Amino acid sequence: MDLNIEFMQETLPLVAQGIGVTLELTLLSLLLAAPLAFYFALARLKELPVISRAVRAYVSFVRGTPIILQILLLYSLLPSLLNAGVQALGLDLNVFEAVDPFYYAVLIFTLNTLALLTEVFRSALGSIGHDQLEAGLAAGLTEGQTYRYIIIPQALVVALPALCNITVNLIKGTSLAFLMTVKDIMAIGKVAASYGYNYLEAYLDVFLVYIALCTAMQLLFHYLEQRLGRFRLAV
Amino acid sequence: MLMSIRNLQKRFGDNEVLQGVNLDIEKGDVVVILGPSGSGKTTFLRSLNFLERADGGTVDFDDRHYDLQEVSDRQIAEVRQKTAFVFQNYNLFANKTALENVTLGLTAGRGVKKEEALRIGREALQKVGLSDREAYYPAQLSGGQQQRVGIARAIAVRPEVILFDEPTSALDPELVGEVLSVMRQLAKEGTTMIVVTHEMKFAREVASHVVFMADGKVVEEGSAEEIFIKPKEERTRKFLQRILPEEYEAAALI
Repeated sequence: MDLNIEFMQETLPLVAQGIGVTLELTLLSLLLAAPLAFYFALARLKELPVISRAVRAYVSFVRGTPIILQILLLYSLLPSLLNAGVQALGLDLNVFEAVDPFYYAVLIFTLNTLALLTEVFRSALGSIGHDQLEAGLAAGLTEGQTYRYIIIPQALVVALPALCNITVNLIKGTSLAFLMTVKDIMAIGKVAASYGYNYLEAYLDVFLVYIALCTAMQLLFHYLEQRLGRFRLAV
Repeated sequence: MLMSIRNLQKRFGDNEVLQGVNLDIEKGDVVVILGPSGSGKTTFLRSLNFLERADGGTVDFDDRHYDLQEVSDRQIAEVRQKTAFVFQNYNLFANKTALENVTLGLTAGRGVKKEEALRIGREALQKVGLSDREAYYPAQLSGGQQQRVGIARAIAVRPEVILFDEPTSALDPELVGEVLSVMRQLAKEGTTMIVVTHEMKFAREVASHVVFMADGKVVEEGSAEEIFIKPKEERTRKFLQRILPEEYEAAALI
């Protein structure tokens, strides 16, 4: 079996161009999910009556279904729903053409990440002792200030390994966006492969790009953990 | 009168932890609260700055009246601005250096300018003998050093009163002395303090007023001499005998 090295060399930069979309998808999902996940985590910790149970149900729903099913389900449902809404409002807009599938992908991965982040934030915030909050209040800080200066910075360090996991999984998970015709690393690789049936070569390129991206991300998180976690190191 | 506490009550479920405690504190007083564990002394102290919410009673503090049953968030904030608390387990901010621990209550808590806060913070650290440790994180300090930072954090905000909750109970015996000597110094300078402690020697030497609590009530109070030399109540005598057997063997005979 011969590998078409020339094809691989030509295709690698093409596939690498997908890094932009993959990272956008990953980072947008994380950034959009984070604030709400933080609120959900607090709601769970403070056991706010209704919302706490709703959050629990939501998290278990997301955790209990394969992401590919979530994608197929929402990607079938959302455009039609949106279309019905647009029709009802009497707007002259073709939803199926006007909305870039990228945004459906962002929404789906955000909803998915929201559940995962909620759990990570909840356990990280829960790991910071009540003594820190009391110390803040006794020192004349408000609860909000204590969270901002004391509890969140400490919880973040606790959460970093799990956040790294979520981010790397998301980078890999967004490869399923090709199902929604989003042109990420995976999709570009598949398309390039199908021209001349160079599947193996194209997939090896995709493999290399993902490995590089995920390794870089892990290094970044390692650095962050070292830096933000300085206070934990005894002499 | 700086602080006047009347009929302070607190219950946890069926357990009546504080059954109407009264206490008056003058400016410059060092009030030491003694009592067996479970007597409610820590709960009492924590109620004073609302780390614990009392179920009833009133506090008059710095010319303001607080009804503990219906105190507002704004009133709670007001009291916390004028008090400081030293915790049994130090409770230093783990992600802040010694100096930042001392200045945060000034900058974030009280809107003091950063430069000014740093100046006050360094002064406070110097007072507890930790100038050379200002850039250390709590995890890098010994228990005694951490508690001294805790005290520096308390004095830096110039509170009307500092509340000490068993400040030496978590310390190794050889580190107790350094913390007590800082507290002695504060007392000498006229700092108003309410101290829950088991350090009898400290209580005897430093307290201007000693309160003996048991079962959620004040059993007896008076000067250090009145409580330690001639306690009136049987309960007090028994407690002192248990804590200081060699000294009260004789006293009991008198």
